[in-house]
Amino acid sequence: MRRTHAPSFTRNALWLTLLLLVALLIQACAPAGPAAPAAEQGAAPEAAAPGEPVKNALGKELPADAAPLDQQVLVFPYSGWKTFTTVDFFQAVYERADALSDILSDSLVRLDKDFQPNPGAATEWSVDDSGLVWTFKLDPNLMWNDGTPVTADDYVATFQYGADPAHAWDFSWYYQGVIKNWTQSVNGEVTPQEIGVRAVDANTLEFTTETPAPFLPAMLVYSNTMQKRALEEHGGFYNSDPATSVSAGPYKLVEWTKDQRLVYEINEQYKGTNIPYIQRLVVTNIGQPSQLLPAYEANEIDFVNGGGTLSPADFEIIAADPALNEQYHPHYGDFRTYYFAFDNTQPPFDNPLVREAFAHVLDRDAITANILKRQGIPAYSFLAPGFPASNSAAFAETWPLDVEKAKQLLAEAGYPDGEGFPKLTLKLRSEGPAPTAVAQAYASALKDTLGIDVEVTNMDFKAYMDEMNAKPTQMQFTLISYGMDYLDPSNMLGVFLSGGRHPWSNADYDALVKEASAFLGDPGERTQMFQDAEKILVDDAAFVFAYHQTPGDMIKPYLKGPSLEPDANGVAAWHWPGFSSFSDLLSGVYISNDVSDYRQAPN
Amino acid sequence: MARYLLGRFAGILIVFFIVSVVVFLLMHAIPGGPYNEDKVPLSPEAKANYMRKYGLDRPLVEQYVLYMGNALRGDFGVPFQSPTETVTGLIARTWPVSASLGFAALLVAIPLGLLLGIIAATRQNTWLDYAASATSTLGLTVPNFVVAVWLVLLFAVQLKWLPTGGWGEWYHYIMPVVALALAPMALTARYTRTSILEVSRSDFIRTARAKGLSGRQIMTRHTLRNALIPLITVLGPQIPNLITGTIFIESIFRVPGLGKFFVTSILGRDYPMIMALLLLVAVVWSVVYLITDILYTIVDPRVRLGKSKS
Repeated sequence: MRRTHAPSFTRNALWLTLLLLVALLIQACAPAGPAAPAAEQGAAPEAAAPGEPVKNALGKELPADAAPLDQQVLVFPYSGWKTFTTVDFFQAVYERADALSDILSDSLVRLDKDFQPNPGAATEWSVDDSGLVWTFKLDPNLMWNDGTPVTADDYVATFQYGADPAHAWDFSWYYQGVIKNWTQSVNGEVTPQEIGVRAVDANTLEFTTETPAPFLPAMLVYSNTMQKRALEEHGGFYNSDPATSVSAGPYKLVEWTKDQRLVYEINEQYKGTNIPYIQRLVVTNIGQPSQLLPAYEANEIDFVNGGGTLSPADFEIIAADPALNEQYHPHYGDFRTYYFAFDNTQPPFDNPLVREAFAHVLDRDAITANILKRQGIPAYSFLAPGFPASNSAAFAETWPLDVEKAKQLLAEAGYPDGEGFPKLTLKLRSEGPAPTAVAQAYASALKDTLGIDVEVTNMDFKAYMDEMNAKPTQMQFTLISYGMDYLDPSNMLGVFLSGGRHPWSNADYDALVKEASAFLGDPGERTQMFQDAEKILVDDAAFVFAYHQTPGDMIKPYLKGPSLEPDANGVAAWHWPGFSSFSDLLSGVYISNDVSDYRQAPN
Repeated sequence: MARYLLGRFAGILIVFFIVSVVVFLLMHAIPGGPYNEDKVPLSPEAKANYMRKYGLDRPLVEQYVLYMGNALRGDFGVPFQSPTETVTGLIARTWPVSASLGFAALLVAIPLGLLLGIIAATRQNTWLDYAASATSTLGLTVPNFVVAVWLVLLFAVQLKWLPTGGWGEWYHYIMPVVALALAPMALTARYTRTSILEVSRSDFIRTARAKGLSGRQIMTRHTLRNALIPLITVLGPQIPNLITGTIFIESIFRVPGLGKFFVTSILGRDYPMIMALLLLVAVVWSVVYLITDILYTIVDPRVRLGKSKS
């Protein structure tokens, strides 16, 4: 083979120069955060004279340390795995954008950072003596941005849409058994027009419930209305296109680029009381969760919803960086509890001694210290501390870690040292790293202490639910979680009612939970009934409660405002249910002028 | 040739039919459905509403005939995961994105790979050869999603030259194309090098040299042309993978392409999308193999298609 002479030094230098040039070109042409001209941002702000307070398009005065109006832009990530199709709760809960949905109209009630239901679209409400008929007075000022008023008819149409069998709403179970005739409508036995939601007059809405439901206001957090006219003219997806979208909420939809981003701007015609500081909202596709932290560090997003999305590696990065560590805010999330569940209708778990032995083996402190770290606290019962009627401390000693006792119980049950005990499969529902590690830790504890072989399997979500919901269930042994839908024990404890998620069935428990749920008397007495019910649940060792999830969010330090200051429990965080019309968080956050150290106004 | 092509098209149709039946049966055999039971089990009535809404309450055979009948008329249904558009519309929206990325990667990978391969072959056992070989080994052994993460950390988080991801501007192509191109480039380089070295030792090259052709003439007219044949075999299958979207690269760089739908459709039991995507993949592979076979005849005149038993 002929060899030409090796390239000279000059040739190498040429390559190097070229490379450098390319690098420079990239740097020059592709600024990390392409800045948009201020004039394009939201409603044109009126220039304030120096020293005068700045007001936004809704006339809300910005705090003294707020960044200029064109910087009042909040950028949220959403997981790019999902193609979301709607921003309306009543269209499809599980097809919504997982950030910034439900802001195109007001809910009847909204929560403050202490989870108290306060007036939203409804200015006041009352219930009659029977406890069955509720009257909600609507704020008469509310307007759609097409100039028409928001009326009780809009709310009625929205609820009827939810109960329509042809719509097959994915959350229709939520109002089942609560709103009168709801179940019958979903089942096609009565028409949606016959459900217990009715307009008394333009501004008066009436709900009739099947049984007394003192929790109805808390439940009606999910009542952001759709517009009757748009629903009839364009169908349930009218808000999926800015051309047909109509808003009575604090924001209006201005852009929806599928699989890329959603953009909202402040709705100058908003007449409600949840008045925001932020002018413009951008929801951007962030691809897979592993990209959340890099995008956050590159100042492309202002917020990371940490619930289950940050990985153990991310947490290591956060822990190692003091600045990031300060921006991490743990909170209650949706009061989610992870628990081990057995099929107690079949051997070996039909034997209470076996379940008790299992309950004594779980080392919650070790799991919290070594696996969960900041992502969870030990659970001794189902209702997490901070949740109404939570009685966590009282159960701390019901099933303490006690290996000797566990061995003894298992021997009494007929399986000394695990002899003759069937091999188990501990199934998980498509879980992330933390619950998987918890399951593995428990499995190895069962092997080490009781001599029971347990294989851990993390299943495909739907295949799991299929086995779980089969009648009779095919789920012998599992680790699963539940997070609340609304802040009342009736919701969380309802999970264990007979005929629900698990085969476990207890008549006393059912009676107590049902009675307490509908109880109209002294709230203290009601709480006691729920606590008695929970005691049955815990004492029976029907389930081994493992941990309460305490997710955290990354919040840029330039996000400030009353909503982010400590709540009654001293927790300063981005509280559930987040930035939407379900919460007044939306009106209590602004961008401070520190933002200039981080980014330019995103376009 | 025409007869050969006709035969091949008939073959593609048969593949299409078999794939459709197998996929249809398999996807309906997976437990679960498009309904959502995250929170509580659905009541039988609520589940029935859902099945009725999506036409899943009918017998499987009827569903198949209906789907394929519509599909042959160009209607692949409505994706369960994105009911505001049609399957055809969704693919028309996302496939060009994936395809443009894939072609861009090929445009970078093949010339660069050839160049690296030629350099390595012509400077065999010099530092250039070692450098080229090291690069291509790295490209082949490090998965592209790892490279992608390195690129993000370096260029977006540390240097802040590029955004971590996104779509719509030319610079959004840079990192995904580099990550995607690395493996096919390495593959091309390695095969080019081996192939050239092998061809250079053959008699006709010695003849060409003997008749006084320059090194460059020998390389372009004789060596490269003959070295290309194995390369076509290897590169062919790279193309369908690259142009139908790659889940990891697209999700890391937030490219709104087709890639993720291969996963989300199955996880969400989105039957119309699963069918459409797998039929699409079957067609793309068939066509790419057909083109590869035709290319052989162009590169090597000795290859004759359709004339069996010579």
